[in-house]
Amino acid sequence: MYLVNDIIAFLAANLILSQALGTSTLFVAADSRRKLVGTACCITIFTTIGSAAAYFINKLLPSEYKNFTLLLYVLTIGLLYIGLLSAVYFITPERFEKIRKYIHLSAFNCAVIGTLFTMEQKSANDPSLMKLGEYVKFGLEAGLGFITAALILTAAFRKLNSSKVPSSFRGGPAILIYLGIISMAVYSLK
Amino acid sequence: MNERRSRIFDGVLGDNAVLSGLMVISPVIICGNTVKNAEALIYAFSAITFLSVLISSFVPKKLPYTIKVIIYAIISSIVYMPVKTAAEKFYPDSITRIGIYFPLLAVNSLIILQSEARFFKMKKPRMIASLTFYIIGFDAVMLLTAFIRELLAYGTIRSKMADVNTLISGLGEPFGGFIFLGLMCGAYRKIRSMAKKEDNTGSDLNVSGK
Repeated sequence: MYLVNDIIAFLAANLILSQALGTSTLFVAADSRRKLVGTACCITIFTTIGSAAAYFINKLLPSEYKNFTLLLYVLTIGLLYIGLLSAVYFITPERFEKIRKYIHLSAFNCAVIGTLFTMEQKSANDPSLMKLGEYVKFGLEAGLGFITAALILTAAFRKLNSSKVPSSFRGGPAILIYLGIISMAVYSLK
Repeated sequence: MNERRSRIFDGVLGDNAVLSGLMVISPVIICGNTVKNAEALIYAFSAITFLSVLISSFVPKKLPYTIKVIIYAIISSIVYMPVKTAAEKFYPDSITRIGIYFPLLAVNSLIILQSEARFFKMKKPRMIASLTFYIIGFDAVMLLTAFIRELLAYGTIRSKMADVNTLISGLGEPFGGFIFLGLMCGAYRKIRSMAKKEDNTGSDLNVSGK
């Protein structure tokens, strides 16, 4: 029963289905299953490590400089972006060309920056969440939520792009309606 | 010449950023449920995107792609600061409601991805014209979506009661936003394909008339 509750809570907290964060990225990545899963994994790395950095930014930045939060988040993600590309280049140079497109797509988007701002907002409302562990956990959950949404999408991807769907609705519009129906189901679980 | 002109206007109808490119859709889905939210988002999107892309166009093209993307994001997050300060004066209530979607406009795909792929390949005057029409395209979709959703979900227009008998409250929720935008995209594609067919028929008639 606890597991069911945890799964429901995990789905209800899904940033794509409940807040539409990263939907545009999902569409850019949706042209192939491999690209979708690769991008989702890279986004998880960005949200998890980015959340850890966001914790220190939120803790150390004085409240009168709150407008600088976005700039600091962007600088952090920028450094992470370069670090991740360099790491892949040195660890698996032969697969660098394949992997780098996922990293390019994952760095600056609503899913990553939105996760950092959502956690900032949550910790401002509930000071008990102002812990490094909570930030990292939320970042990881957000990334796993993106992977879950990507898997839900890949399950119906071929059908939503098939010739049986009217040409005007094939692809993007059908995916939006599909995500809307899944989002409605998740909404009912809250 | 006509083709060139139509490419500049593409951002409004032919290649709308939201309905065709499916870019910047998160704010439309979540915050595009009232006209007041839409007005604040239109102001923020227009100011941030126009200024950021314009300033970013001066970034040397020889730099590596990764560095350029980071610089574009830094420029837009610097532009975001005065835009937010002004928005807090003009739209104090809407800014609170929009919440995290306001800063997210600064990392929208039109600035980060499309500027490099589309706008920076053009000459400056053309780029400014094309960018302006892309922004108008987003603004139009945002306003239309917000107007219809507010009217049908809450029975109001700019928070003033309107004479609507049947309300669909789900349209004000995120899932309503997904479904409504999906239907709008489908309708947009249908209209666009019909317009293209008419254009082709017209040009065929002209050719045979010669």
